[in-house]
Amino acid sequence: MSEIDRRKFMGNAAGALAGALLVAGCKEAPKSVAPYSGPQVRLGIIGVGSRGQELMRTFLRVPGARFAGLCDVYEPRFAPGRGITGEETPIYRDYREMLAAKDIDAVIVATPLSMHAEHIIAALESGRHVYGEKSMAFTVEGCDGIVEAVKRTGKHYQVGLQYTYATWYRDALRRIREGKLGQITQINACWHRNNNWRRAVADPNDKKLERLINWRMYKEYSLGLLAELGSHHIGFANQVFGGYPESVVGSGGIDYWKDGRETYDNVQVTFRYPGGQTLLFSSMTTNALEGAQLRVYGTEGSAVMTEGDGMLYYEAKKLKASAVTQLLIDHGIITGASFMPEMPYRGKGEAVPLPEDVTGNANYLACESFVRGILTNQRPEADEKAGWAEAVSVVLGNKAIEEGKRIWFREYVGKKSGA
Amino acid sequence: MARGLMQRSREFAAIGRIAGIGIGLVLAITVPARATKLYVQSREAMGTKFTIYLYAASEGQADAAFEASFDEIERLDRTLSNYNPESELSRINRLAGREWVTTDPEIFSLLQTCLAYSKRSGGTFDITVGPLMRAWGFFRGQGHYPTARELEQAREKTGWEKVQLDAATRAVHFAVPGMELDPGGIGKGYAVDRVVVLLRAAGVKVAMVDAGSSTLYAMGAPPGEKGWLVRVPKPGDRSKTIAAVLLKDESLSTSGSYEKFFQLNGRTYCHIMDPRTGAPVEGMLQTSVIAADGTTTEALSKPMFVMGTDEGAKYLASFPHVAGLWVTGKVDSAQVVPWNWPGCMGDCGSSLTGDRERKTKTQ
Repeated sequence: MSEIDRRKFMGNAAGALAGALLVAGCKEAPKSVAPYSGPQVRLGIIGVGSRGQELMRTFLRVPGARFAGLCDVYEPRFAPGRGITGEETPIYRDYREMLAAKDIDAVIVATPLSMHAEHIIAALESGRHVYGEKSMAFTVEGCDGIVEAVKRTGKHYQVGLQYTYATWYRDALRRIREGKLGQITQINACWHRNNNWRRAVADPNDKKLERLINWRMYKEYSLGLLAELGSHHIGFANQVFGGYPESVVGSGGIDYWKDGRETYDNVQVTFRYPGGQTLLFSSMTTNALEGAQLRVYGTEGSAVMTEGDGMLYYEAKKLKASAVTQLLIDHGIITGASFMPEMPYRGKGEAVPLPEDVTGNANYLACESFVRGILTNQRPEADEKAGWAEAVSVVLGNKAIEEGKRIWFREYVGKKSGA
Repeated sequence: MARGLMQRSREFAAIGRIAGIGIGLVLAITVPARATKLYVQSREAMGTKFTIYLYAASEGQADAAFEASFDEIERLDRTLSNYNPESELSRINRLAGREWVTTDPEIFSLLQTCLAYSKRSGGTFDITVGPLMRAWGFFRGQGHYPTARELEQAREKTGWEKVQLDAATRAVHFAVPGMELDPGGIGKGYAVDRVVVLLRAAGVKVAMVDAGSSTLYAMGAPPGEKGWLVRVPKPGDRSKTIAAVLLKDESLSTSGSYEKFFQLNGRTYCHIMDPRTGAPVEGMLQTSVIAADGTTTEALSKPMFVMGTDEGAKYLASFPHVAGLWVTGKVDSAQVVPWNWPGCMGDCGSSLTGDRERKTKTQ
C-alpha cells in the first residue's frame, strides 16, 4: 500500500474548508482541515452474522463507505445490522433481490463457507466488486469459478485474508524476501483455543436454527478448523514460499467435544511446497497456551508472528575456521565429562517495528484497501489468486485429513484453475 | 484476552448473600425462584471484572445469555481500549491530531454523547484529561506534583472543546496535536447498557450487570422482591454500609478517590481530575448516583465528584429520575450527603427487604 495513494484518498477534500474549522485559541492550525467529502462506495452485505457485523463496523470507519443493503435469511440479524449502520438500511431476505438493486457498488460476502462461491460469483456477475470472507470457497471447482468470474467481469475480488495488510506481517515478509532470515525451510503455525467453538443458540431445541448458527460444525457448510482458523496462516505461508503446496497429509478427530458436531475438534496438517519447504499447521480446542501464532524458520533466523505483533530472532553466527597456535599442541587438550543440553533459544528478539502513524488494525487496513481500490481503480493485493491458493490448500488439506492419505495437488488442480 | 479468565457458570441457591462483590451488592431474596434459577458468570475486561447475575430457566439458556453478553463486553473492550494499539479508539487518538478520522456510527455517537455531557456539566466531565493524568503521574503509578510548565503543556492538550466532530461524515479531529480520548469515564456504563439490551433480547427478565462494582444495572427484581438490594460501602472499609437502596430497572454508579491517590506534603491527591483547574479534586471521597441507565450514571458520577455537594445537586436536579449520594471529608471523619436518595441511610439492617416501596422523587 502506498502512503501517497492513501493520502490522496484521505485528503482529496483537504483545504476546501481551510480555516473554517479552526478553534479559537489554538496556537496553530491543524494540517488537515476538512472531513472527507469525496465519492462514496455503497456496500451491500450478504450474511449479517457476527463476522458480518464486525466487517460492517470496520467498513463504516473507512471514509466514503456506507451500507445500502443488508441481506440475511435469519430475521433477527436485521435489527443489529441496522443498529450498526445507524440508518434504516434496506433489508433483503434473498441475495438475488439485493443484487437487483441499483444503488449498490460492492458486495461483502460473509455467509457460511459452502455458500461463498454462489454468492460471490452472482455478485461479480451483477457487476459488483466483492469482498469475500475467507476461505474463498468450499470446493476446488468453486475456487476456479470465482477466478473465472473475476476474469470475465473485470471486477475486483478481495479475499478476507486481512493479515496481508497488517503492517508487521508486511514488514516481516519484506525482510524474509530480502533474505534477512536466510533460506526459509519451514513454517510452524497453530491456532489453539480452549473452548468448544460453539455459538449459543437462543432455543437449543431448534435443530434447524442450531445448524444455521453453528454452521462451522457441520460438514454440509464448513471445512472446519483448517478453513476457519488455518486460512490466514496458509495464506502467509503461500506468500513466503511463493505459490501453493504440491502435497498435503493430515489428521484430526472429534476427540473431546463429542457434542454432535461433524467437523473435527483438532486437526494437524503438513503441507509440502515444490521448493522443498514445509508448513505444519495445528489447531486444537482444548488448550490455549500457544494461541494463534506462526513461526517462520530460516537458516539465518526466525520470525514469530501473532495477531498483534511480530518478533525476529537471529541464529548464532556460524564460526569460521581459525588458526591454532603450536601452544595448544604443546600443552595438550584436557579431557573430562561434558554435556551441553540443546535448549530452546530464550534470549531477546527484535520486534518487527510498528510504524507510529499506522492507520488501523489489520481488519481496518484490509477494508480501507478494498474501498480505496474501488475509488482509485487499483486491484486488491489479496486478490483472487491469493484467495485461490489459500482455499485450494484448505480444501485439499481437509481431504487429506478425511481420507488419511497424502493428497497431491496436481491431481485436483486442473488447467482451468487459478493456478 | 480475558476469554480464558472466564469463570464457569455456577448455579446459586436463590437465597442468601453473595459476599465480596462490588460495592456491596447483596441479594435480598427471601422467596426461592420456582421457574428460574440464579446463575452467575464473571470475566475480566476493560481493566476490571464484569459479573452478570441472571435468572434463567436452564443452564443452557443462562450460558447463551452469558456468551452473548461477554462477547459484547469484549468487543467493546477491543474497540474502546486506549491500551490496545489495535483498538478503534487508539486509531483515532493516533491520527485525529493531524487529520479528520472517520469512525463508525457507534463510536461517533458515543463521542457525541461524551461531548454533550462535557458541555452540560460545564467541562467537569471530560474524556480528554489523559495528559493531565499523565502530568500528575497517575499513568506511571507514581504520584508527581507537576511543574507549572508541565501543567501548562498538559492543559494545552486537554479540553473537550478542542475535539471537533463532523456528523455528516462521522469524522473526529483534534484541534491540538497530542490530544487523546479516554472514554474510561463512560465506557463501562455504555457496555453495561449494551449488555442489558442483549439480555432483554435473549428473553432474560431479571438480572444484575456489575461492571467492577463501579457501575451496576438492575434489570427487574429477584423473585419475591421489589428490587435488587445494593449497599454503598464506607470509603476505605467495604465491610461497613453507609447507605443502601433497592434498584429495579435502573443503574447506579460510584466514583471514589480512595483507591488511586498519592500523598505529598500532607495533602492527598486523588486520580479524579477537575478539568477546569487541571488539578485533582480534594476533599471528596466518594459519589454514587442512580439514573435510568449505565451511560448516564457513569457520566454523572464524576461531575458530581468534581462539583461537590451544592453545585452537584443543582446539576443532578437538571436530570429526571436521578438520585445522588456524596461522601466528603476524610476517611476517618467522613460526612454522607444524600440528595433525593430513595433508599435508607446507615447500615439499614433488613429494612429494605420488607415491604417498603421505593419512592422516587423527581425534580
